[in-house]
Amino acid sequence: MSASTGLAVRSLRNIRRLPSAFLPALLMPVFQVVSFSGTYAGITSIPGFPTDRSVNWYLPMAVTMGASFAGLGTGFSMIRDLQTGFYDRIRMAPARRRDILLGPYLAAWTRAVIAVVLVTLVGFALGARPVGNPFAVFTLFIAGIGMATIGTGWGLGLAYRFRDMRAAAIMQLTLFLGLFLTDAQTPIDIMQGWLKSVATWNPLTRILHVARLGFVDGNGVSDLIIGIVVMAVLGSLAWFFALSGLRRLDD
Amino acid sequence: MTVAAPQQVIALSRRSVQSIVRQPSVVVPSMVFPLFFVALGTSSFARAISIPGFPVVDSFLDFALAGSIVQGVLFGSITSATALATDIETGFFDRLLLTPSPRVGILVGRLAGAMAYGLAQTIFFVLVLFPFGLSIKSGIVGLTAMVIGGLLTALAVGAVMSAMALRTGSSEAVQGSFPLLFVLLFFSSAFFPRQTMDGIYRQIANLNPVSYLVEGFRSLTIGELTTVAVAQTMLIPAAIAVGGLALSLRSLRRRVAAA
Amino acid sequence: MTTPQRGLEQPIIAEGLERVFGSGERAVRAVDGVDLSVERGEIFGFLGPNGAGKSTTVRMLTTLLRPTGGTARVAGFDVVKESDAVRRSIGVALQDAAIDPLMTGAELLHLQAILYGLPRGEHTQRVGDLLERVGLSAAGDRRVGTYSGGMRRRLDLALALIHEPTVLFLDEPTTGLDPMSRMALWDEIRRLNDDGTTVLLTTQYLEEADQLADRVAIIDHGRIVSRGRPADLKAGVGAPTLFIVVDPAQVESASAVLTAFGELRPTAEGTLGVGLVDGAAGVSAVVRALDDAGVQVQNLELKAPSLDDVFAEATGHRLEGAS
Repeated sequence: MSASTGLAVRSLRNIRRLPSAFLPALLMPVFQVVSFSGTYAGITSIPGFPTDRSVNWYLPMAVTMGASFAGLGTGFSMIRDLQTGFYDRIRMAPARRRDILLGPYLAAWTRAVIAVVLVTLVGFALGARPVGNPFAVFTLFIAGIGMATIGTGWGLGLAYRFRDMRAAAIMQLTLFLGLFLTDAQTPIDIMQGWLKSVATWNPLTRILHVARLGFVDGNGVSDLIIGIVVMAVLGSLAWFFALSGLRRLDD
Repeated sequence: MTVAAPQQVIALSRRSVQSIVRQPSVVVPSMVFPLFFVALGTSSFARAISIPGFPVVDSFLDFALAGSIVQGVLFGSITSATALATDIETGFFDRLLLTPSPRVGILVGRLAGAMAYGLAQTIFFVLVLFPFGLSIKSGIVGLTAMVIGGLLTALAVGAVMSAMALRTGSSEAVQGSFPLLFVLLFFSSAFFPRQTMDGIYRQIANLNPVSYLVEGFRSLTIGELTTVAVAQTMLIPAAIAVGGLALSLRSLRRRVAAA
Repeated sequence: MTTPQRGLEQPIIAEGLERVFGSGERAVRAVDGVDLSVERGEIFGFLGPNGAGKSTTVRMLTTLLRPTGGTARVAGFDVVKESDAVRRSIGVALQDAAIDPLMTGAELLHLQAILYGLPRGEHTQRVGDLLERVGLSAAGDRRVGTYSGGMRRRLDLALALIHEPTVLFLDEPTTGLDPMSRMALWDEIRRLNDDGTTVLLTTQYLEEADQLADRVAIIDHGRIVSRGRPADLKAGVGAPTLFIVVDPAQVESASAVLTAFGELRPTAEGTLGVGLVDGAAGVSAVVRALDDAGVQVQNLELKAPSLDDVFAEATGHRLEGAS
């Protein structure tokens, strides 16, 4: 077993031992898909709305949100390890920094898959149905993993830099704002005013489009390509943000 | 139990307000979040106001004000109750019990703090949203009723949550009710009209008292001044407050007796 | 498991080691030019009060913190440029026994074995051996959160030993332990040293250094103020110290009398100390002189030189809570 899998196994084991740290991240997206689909059921009757099922619109949003918070969860555990001093021990191990960082990523991906599967099942139970695209669930998963990757790097990088609960507040707030300043609630074409341009330029909107690919009309292969490029770029930036944070612990 | 002496209640109320204002982690969720969602909503749902079942409104902003007031007050009231539970945990509560001041002052102080904050929140939301085109159709009388309604809502939720704080003595338990408030809020007409919802969602929203609480504020914002609207805005929270106060006084008596 | 074998004669060498936190006016020189040289097979005691720079020095020597000046070689490798090789050679037991309370002792040791790249087949054997060695076999499958302070320290030591390091760093290994647990840990450290492990031990307990260390260095305000074998250092202080408690109002006049018998030494508040050149034979003369000056002696004690005296002489103050 490599250093990264060893660390991932530990992190996953702690889900069971400290469920209070994981459950909220799991329940929040479930609540979102349930409540948004019902509360805003009427929006599908706005002329030009790209689906007639509100759950088709909100399931991808809840999945990306849940996956990114699964990623942030590793940031929370990192704060705990830094504060107990346990992370000093891990840093002293003669393993490559890359492998030490990969451990939490593997754990985050696993957690994200759990969240994505659960939220997707709930969404389908509420009546979400793919339209046209046979790979709808697959692209939904791609977007979920992409957001989990970004969330993990962002969460770890902030944890390494602040080393206390301030990091937790900042990572949650920024990701929450970032994800809501997209077309999370309604399509860009339907918006009026300030959010329209913000959502258009927000790169996270492009990731949401990948998630929605098989669930609403109007998105195509170009959306998939753009979305994947955005995920690759943001994911790499977040990885380097985390890696440089890890190195900064030595300073 | 006697009625608390004014100076003592004032001192405890001041402390209670201070503890709210001095914690940004408290102010942000209860002040900024509701406004953030209003801002999102006005842009996202601007064209939703013409869908079937949506009430006649000038803008989504007018529609959204009521939801933001109730959301803000709900989140703010958790804080006072959490602070009360923390007082019990840290032993400060016992120290207050040792002073000759009347027991009920501890509760009244916290609730007065919550009311002051609820009042401030209502005024704050209205003032911030005015420049963005908010209009209150029921005029100054209606606005006054809304501000009093905000204060009473803070008292109502504060009293119910304080009963929980006094019963459990655990700030974690009080904070743990946060998701419950979220559920109450989302499965109501706080963010979207009941008339646009379907099936089970509509039934739940129809049963949820938060729907009627919000709709009182809403009818004063988007409609003319009517006695029914004023009564709805003030009497619903007042009724909950009476029940909540009875509950919390009973819990207080139990805790004091046990101490 | 082969650990790198270089720099065998002096496994720990530091030259002008320096660490500054912050910059500009608010810069703090936590470690200010420390030179160290630890011989193979010795137990080296690194003494000093809290905040003197002990832990910062250890963090630099163990690759956790980058020095801002000077160089250090551990097990023959540069701590900055060859940090990976240093990590392979050293074992570290950290202050406060930093371990994850949610894991069991055995799981932690397994993880440690993975992190140090031990061959997979050896893990179970090694973990079992180490648990037995530190007397935790029965508690191996319990979560660390349920361990007592002494058990945590022993587990911490076992974690440090997973890859059979040639150099062992122990950062305040017995702080907060009861006397029984402390003795047990001392025995274990001696046993490891007998097997050839070089040990650098930081402590704020003078007795601990006196008991264990072949040589000590005393650090204060980021600088090494004294170093040598405990016996030599104590001999260097020379005369035993006579501690005298007098009425607070008479401290001044008493000091005036005492200067005639030897140099005054730093003491705790309310007590006077004098290095008595004549030893025990001189006590009666001191008492008589004080009596003549009208000073009321409330208590009086003659103590042979201790590391505390060495410390006091080097730094001008006594180590708080020292025994």
